[in-house]
Amino acid sequence: MSPSEDCRVFDIQRFSIHDGPGIRTTVFLEGCPLRCAWCQNPESFVSDAARAMTPAAIVAEVLRDRDFFAVSGGGMTVSGGEPLLHLAPVRALLAEAKRHGLHTCVQTSGAVPSENVAAVLGLVDVFQFDLKHMNAERHRALTGATNERILRNATLLVERGATVQFRTPLVPGVNDDEENLNALAQFFTGLGITTMELVPYHRLYLEKYASLGLRAPREDLEPPSPSERRRAAERLRRDGVLAHVDPHE
Amino acid sequence: MSALHPKNAAQKERLLRAEHWLCMERARYYTEAHRETEGQHPSLRAAKALARVLEKMTVRIEPDELLVGNRSTKLIAPPIAPERGDFTFVFEHLFDELRAFGYRIEPHDERVLFDELIPYWRGKTVRDAKIAALESHQLSSKLDLSPGEVRRKLRSFGVRKLVRLVDEDTPETLRARAVRAGRLALELPRLVRAVRAGAGDNLKGRGRCTDTQAHIVLGHKNVLRLGFSGIREQARTRMEHARDDGERAFLESVEIVCDAMRAFSERFAALARTEASAVADPERRAELEGIADACSRVPWLPPRTFAEAVQSMWFTQNAAIISYGAGSGITPGRVDQLLFPYFEADLASGALTRAHALRLLEELIVKLNNNVVIWPNLGGAKLNHLGSDVENITLGGVDAHGNDATNELTHLFIEALANTNLATTASFRVSQKSPREFVRQVVAIHRRSNSPAFLNDETAIAALVRDGYALEDARQYCLVGCVEPSGNGDTYGATGGSKVYFPTALDMVFNRGRTTFFGNRDGVDTGDPSQMASFDEVLAAFYRQLDSLVEWVTEATNLRDAIWAERFHNPLISSTIDGCIDNAKDMTAGGARYNFGAVGGGGLGTVVDSLAAIRKFVFEDRVVTMAELGEALATDFRGREALRQRLSSGPRFGNDLDEVDSLARELVARFCAKVRSRKTACGGHYKASLISYGLNVYEGALEPATPDGRRAGEPLSNSMSPSNGAERRGPTAALSSLARIDHTAIGYGNSVNMRLPVGLLATEKGVDSAAHLVRAYFDKGGFHLQFNTADSATLRAAQRTPDAYADLIVRVSGYSAYFTRLGRRIQDDIIGRTELA
Repeated sequence: MSPSEDCRVFDIQRFSIHDGPGIRTTVFLEGCPLRCAWCQNPESFVSDAARAMTPAAIVAEVLRDRDFFAVSGGGMTVSGGEPLLHLAPVRALLAEAKRHGLHTCVQTSGAVPSENVAAVLGLVDVFQFDLKHMNAERHRALTGATNERILRNATLLVERGATVQFRTPLVPGVNDDEENLNALAQFFTGLGITTMELVPYHRLYLEKYASLGLRAPREDLEPPSPSERRRAAERLRRDGVLAHVDPHE
Repeated sequence: MSALHPKNAAQKERLLRAEHWLCMERARYYTEAHRETEGQHPSLRAAKALARVLEKMTVRIEPDELLVGNRSTKLIAPPIAPERGDFTFVFEHLFDELRAFGYRIEPHDERVLFDELIPYWRGKTVRDAKIAALESHQLSSKLDLSPGEVRRKLRSFGVRKLVRLVDEDTPETLRARAVRAGRLALELPRLVRAVRAGAGDNLKGRGRCTDTQAHIVLGHKNVLRLGFSGIREQARTRMEHARDDGERAFLESVEIVCDAMRAFSERFAALARTEASAVADPERRAELEGIADACSRVPWLPPRTFAEAVQSMWFTQNAAIISYGAGSGITPGRVDQLLFPYFEADLASGALTRAHALRLLEELIVKLNNNVVIWPNLGGAKLNHLGSDVENITLGGVDAHGNDATNELTHLFIEALANTNLATTASFRVSQKSPREFVRQVVAIHRRSNSPAFLNDETAIAALVRDGYALEDARQYCLVGCVEPSGNGDTYGATGGSKVYFPTALDMVFNRGRTTFFGNRDGVDTGDPSQMASFDEVLAAFYRQLDSLVEWVTEATNLRDAIWAERFHNPLISSTIDGCIDNAKDMTAGGARYNFGAVGGGGLGTVVDSLAAIRKFVFEDRVVTMAELGEALATDFRGREALRQRLSSGPRFGNDLDEVDSLARELVARFCAKVRSRKTACGGHYKASLISYGLNVYEGALEPATPDGRRAGEPLSNSMSPSNGAERRGPTAALSSLARIDHTAIGYGNSVNMRLPVGLLATEKGVDSAAHLVRAYFDKGGFHLQFNTADSATLRAAQRTPDAYADLIVRVSGYSAYFTRLGRRIQDDIIGRTELA
């Protein structure tokens, strides 16, 4: 295996139950093209904790929980950072997982070249795809990049028949306005998507910044209230998009 | 889901609010008859004594009851069996502690206790005879309090930890501390005497062999099928072929107790009739008339209806506990299987509604919680809370033919458990044939009530067959006490009570056969530890010491069992157990079809982590020598905090690390094989268990510092679980470690308590995932799993304002407990258990 296929792993978390179906092991890969104002994994781009691991070594670690995957329909989730940023390692990792019959899930922001997305299509059972904001300029202001490429990749995945679960972090005052929810609903309707997940913003991750000796970019953001969650979900439902909000997040 | 029936809610409320009493009725009448039967066969003496108790004790019918059968003069008052010696020891030495804990006693009873009972039984109890036997066989180890040894203990434990053994409060203000110091100084001589007397039956190597045997599944199946009339008939028939006076005496004793059971239930029938005639409320009158009808039939005759079956079961259960005394782990067994035929027939005939069946089951569960163990409050161990004398009910699982036996009653019991929300110990058998939704439904009980235990049929049945059970019998197994699998009314297995502690064996390696706390050179000298040149040498010395511990505890247990067999029989319980009438022999004398003994092993996680630390830090990384480590342990790491932290950072059991897990696998396999090689007095063999009965805090209080960085006196790891705080990689890693051990070798089971992440079970996905953990762990061969779900913030809040959390239930070892009624250090231990994920 060539060194270019080594993955930069900053964490491997067993018994992940919110990262796809069943009981899963989530592999966190270093590196992200975005800098979101509410980023909850700052270690993906600032920490030196990442270690180089071969796909075989990672999958061997993941397979330790194969009995738990078998009864729960779980498997391996690749997260980040942005796991599709460095194509060769992630493709090798997914291929290795598939060689062992693992169910695979990739959590992506979509902010990568379309070739990267297309190149892993056959190796991924479920994409969890984040849409953070529909307005290009607002997207740039919040994440450091515009969203054209992201929307293109979202469309590409749906058109190529991939299983995609769309998720939007619900951040009050940032992306829960009528205009954005409207645009989101229209985008989903255009693609024939009828379900998505709203992930309420929370502040628990702020501790991480402190422990890394960093200042969080936006410490002023607040979690959505129950009525804000309900309002956002209802807005989407008006256009036929069933938005799931985990009541316990 | 329904709500608790109002009549049952009232009974539950009275139970939770009731004062705890010490009642001397059982003790008095038993003693009275015992005095009169001097020189007679022990079965006859026991039968006549029980008959006297059942004839003379107060019978009561509580308001709202449909099921009747009390065991003492007060709602909560454990039946006291002075002949065992464990009660009289506590009364004699720690009566003030019991009073301080809240036990009350009538003045008359107090006089009877101190003026008649204690003097009469002195020198005659099982405990007295056991201590004498241990001494004459050089198996006891007295607490050495010579000046040199006291200095050693102070060095190894420190004053504070030694004081905590007898006084667990840690006052916060200086003034309060001064008051406490003064009080302790005054009381110290008495407390030292108490500790010495308590340690009077300590075994060599600080093993434990309790005064009681018991821990038994009653033969409810036989009482339901035959009634005591049928059992009496069997005894009469067998009498025709009696070969000797011993057989005749036992069979006659069975007839006596069967008649006594009939007379006992007739007393309730008469009382119910009297009360019925006096009550104005027509509904209650009808209920009391129903009670009178049932009590004039069961348990003498086989029940005709579901209600009679439940009443019969309760009578037998209650009388068995009266006969043996509290703290005996008398187990009802597979209640959903036993009661199902009556339920099914009554539903079909229209004589019973589901709602009424549910009410009866709820009331049965409330009654199964009406028990306490009287336990001296030493070393932070308080066991005397409601439900602590576990009457474990077994639900679900396969039938004798291997088919799934989960039935409608199983589900009704689930509902009753959720509705009653008491600290019931309930064990759910799960097999490959259980309905897919079954585990999930049981997991969901956590949302409304305490956590049930899951048991793996495939592993348990394999273990029982390996120990000699016929496959059909093995499939009918029930859980006794905490999690010990035993036969369904066909076994005398004494599954609890005898125990060794793995860390003691390591203590004896470092001290060349001496135990630090007791101060005696009990063990073999396995050589100078500082001269041990390899880890294998340390391991060999450890196993040598461990083998000795097992030999001593089994010899001691055989001596104790001989005392029961010679002096204290139990014809009532024996009459229900398969084999005793055929063999015309009491269960204590080997009458049951299956006979076993038990040896528990404590502190697995602590010792595995300790061995792994020695291997890594002494022999691989060479950061400390054996001599330095020995010195650090002997001084509780004083001045060596950096070393202690280094040792704590080593690889730990419970993290799916092959090199550590293989140590655990090897240790358990060797321990179980050694235990299995030992024969009981009745011809069976010993079976191992890895359960701590909620005593790991107390056990740790007597254990010096260990090489895993654990300080002296801190709790040992609990049951088979990894050490507190050791699990760093989540539940799947912990379960993978645990599953590397061969659980079928652990004949009397193991328990694994797992704290689930806060709020996990609030989501559907969380419930699914917990159910998947159970299924996957069992597929990997695991035997037992139970979850704790209260978060540490809640538990801390409960410590601050106990009143607001009076109903907060947690699992301690194999049973459930009210958190706020546990000792402070057990509470801290529970909070300390790793919060996974």
